[in-house]
Amino acid sequence: MRRRRVRQRAPAAFASIPRTAASNSGPGGRLGARLIVLALALATTIPACFRGDRLEWPPRPRGEWRGGVLRLAAREDVPTLDPALGYDTRSWFFEQHLFETLVTYDDENALVPALAERWEVASDLRRYRFHLVPGVVFSDGSPLTAADIVGSLERVLDPRTRSQGAEYYRGIRGARDFIAGRTAQVAGLAAPDATTLTVELDAPDPLFLHKLALMFAAVVPATLARALGDDFASRPVGSGPFVLREWRRGERIVLARNPRYRRPGLPYLDGVVELVSVNDELAWLMFESGELDVAGIPPADFPAVKRDPGRAGQLLHATTLTTAYIGLNCEMPPLDDRRVRQAFNYAVSKTDLIALLAGRAVPARGIVPPNLPAYRSDVDGYPHDPARARALLAEAGRGDGFATELWTQGSDLDLKLAQKVQQDLARVGVTLAIKQVAWSAFLEAIRQPRTVPVFDLGWSADFPDPSNFLDVLFHSRQRDANNHTFYASAELDRLLDRARGLADRAERYRLYAEAERVLVEDAPVIFLYHPITYVIRHPRVHGYRIHALLPARLTEVWVDPDT
Amino acid sequence: MAKRGARGTLAAGLLMAAVLVAAALAGPVVAPYDPTVSAAPQLAEPMPPAAPFYLGTDDLGRDVLSRLLHGARISLLVGVVAMAVTVTIGTGVGLTAGYFGGAVDVLLMRCTDVMLAFPGLLLAVALVAVLRPSVWTIFVVIGLVSWTGVARVIRSEVLSLRERDFVLAARALGAGHARVLVRHVLPNTAPTIAVIAALSTSGTILLDTGLSFLGLGVPPPTPTWGRMIQEATTYYRVAPWLMLFPGLAVLFAVLTFNLIAYGLTRGGRAPAT
Repeated sequence: MRRRRVRQRAPAAFASIPRTAASNSGPGGRLGARLIVLALALATTIPACFRGDRLEWPPRPRGEWRGGVLRLAAREDVPTLDPALGYDTRSWFFEQHLFETLVTYDDENALVPALAERWEVASDLRRYRFHLVPGVVFSDGSPLTAADIVGSLERVLDPRTRSQGAEYYRGIRGARDFIAGRTAQVAGLAAPDATTLTVELDAPDPLFLHKLALMFAAVVPATLARALGDDFASRPVGSGPFVLREWRRGERIVLARNPRYRRPGLPYLDGVVELVSVNDELAWLMFESGELDVAGIPPADFPAVKRDPGRAGQLLHATTLTTAYIGLNCEMPPLDDRRVRQAFNYAVSKTDLIALLAGRAVPARGIVPPNLPAYRSDVDGYPHDPARARALLAEAGRGDGFATELWTQGSDLDLKLAQKVQQDLARVGVTLAIKQVAWSAFLEAIRQPRTVPVFDLGWSADFPDPSNFLDVLFHSRQRDANNHTFYASAELDRLLDRARGLADRAERYRLYAEAERVLVEDAPVIFLYHPITYVIRHPRVHGYRIHALLPARLTEVWVDPDT
Repeated sequence: MAKRGARGTLAAGLLMAAVLVAAALAGPVVAPYDPTVSAAPQLAEPMPPAAPFYLGTDDLGRDVLSRLLHGARISLLVGVVAMAVTVTIGTGVGLTAGYFGGAVDVLLMRCTDVMLAFPGLLLAVALVAVLRPSVWTIFVVIGLVSWTGVARVIRSEVLSLRERDFVLAARALGAGHARVLVRHVLPNTAPTIAVIAALSTSGTILLDTGLSFLGLGVPPPTPTWGRMIQEATTYYRVAPWLMLFPGLAVLFAVLTFNLIAYGLTRGGRAPAT
């Protein structure tokens, strides 16, 4: 997923990090957000709170007890609760508590069973047979059958749904005919009985199971969802651990335990209350006064919190499967010269940028984050070496320096990081002008050839596989999609094409490691860092964990009000 | 009594203006550090005021004193140039409308009413968002949104001036409208214009700070007071000096020109004509 410069202020679980342009607003939005922040800053003396209407929760029984209500806050409201439509971390955070997928990830990003208790893959890697957990019901009491899964996937593929997830499931046999309206059903999807699902693909796809772990593939009661249409987003029914109890737009969203959840005794929590329209600084003040159970830490407060030994046990962190980078347009001179791009990599101090993030990132050696399961790359990346950068520039005939332009979408943090990069490049003679552009205009501009010389962007994994970085961002075929550097290397293309569709993961990953070596040597981007998400939990919160790939999961969390 | 008080106020205002101008002119020379380069040994944690960073550093490790001094230049420049634009447009419209009266007056004053109907800051934000933020945009935009008040005041002044005998005398001697306006009416509005100019300078500085605060001012790395305050908002609890010093600088600049304006009105009374 394309990602704006990763903001460090909010925890990954609630940070609204748009995965696409669609969920973003233009310059008005940026200004609007500032004004709201200002208004809220003024309102800090009037505690925005859980008063108002009191929510009633079940009485607390004696003895061995796990339950409680988790209180959270977020800056922005949830875009949607319809899994076919949500494509941002905010929506996914709530969707994964209301719905389930066939497979999901464990804490180490490995695929594990969820609604499918087991599955078989044919040796040609094209045919799959899933066996569902028996007896699962939706929160409205109706049974969840294999036919619902077929219906859910067809709903995502249906052009009338306008789901951005459709592209992931195009590879199912007959999906293209279904999208074009030539068939009423997807030929490759079948439900021989209530607990068996078979899927047939056009071509082998080693990533297909990962695509079924995306929230787009969440199972909804197909007939009901179709009947409700757009209303399904506000009246969602799923088989997840929680149900939607209340959603007051711009105010709060409340989840309650789903008593029909398939795993006995879970979830522990009676409910989850999240206040929205709360800025990060206000959320932090509310956390400190005990009004919130989990919160992110604003950059200004982070160093002191990190040093405080009393808080060490409350801090949680995870290195995200995200890479922040600065793209260099390989078609625009002098950046078409590899030596100039390498010089940029040597010139920028990653350590300083990470210091600006209060240490909340690890330096990037290449494009693939270091914590992908089973992937080992041996790229060394670029150390900070201004002398080497100057030598490379001189070699490229640019020893006298030159001027270029860095495009950024202008959050406070973006601008600060951009100003640091500006300083670093000035030291090797490159004059960098900072051009602030609204997110939608930014995305439009970087797609145009020979328009944006240098730009500030990031990429978060859709699924934990190196192809999701190497292939998506740098294959020359992706020119019109996500290859905004317009980098083209026959050697890299050859390696990526060979790796795609290989069943043997060890061999695939060996080819990807080789491809990453080629990429780092050619340096179409300045490899910056992989952000670390930090959140702080109140000692009364138990079982709260954060995940590198998914938003935090609350199924096994409980709150002990006596702490 | 009032007169002496006013004179003291004017002197204080002029003295403060001299300090501002000196800071703006000599700032880049006396500033201890480059305002756009990290000078402190640490990033992300602003350093409190202490030698060698007398007003502390910001989260990018830049020296706040140096940024303030460089920012004075921008603020003063914007204040004076945008004021000149404001006063020029406002005086032109006011003189024309007041002197000719009739249809010209109605037309110009209704245009002024339309402009007045829009909140100034909102209009400025909209204009800057459409144009591209730069020093020149700021000059023009501030001038365009703040001339209305000037036009109103000058018009009312001219309404009474044009009925005076010396205007009649000039006309009787065969002077054209242009000559009467420039040689006879305009000089008589000078005291009012002086007061308005001083007042509008402080208003302009405030508006520029507001635009910078909203991220629509002169783009970085050029330091501006408004942006400094804006960047400090997330740090106000851990590093209050980041907000305090640029805030005081704005206060000082606005107070300077308000004092001058007050002094020029001779203790709050309307200027003699």
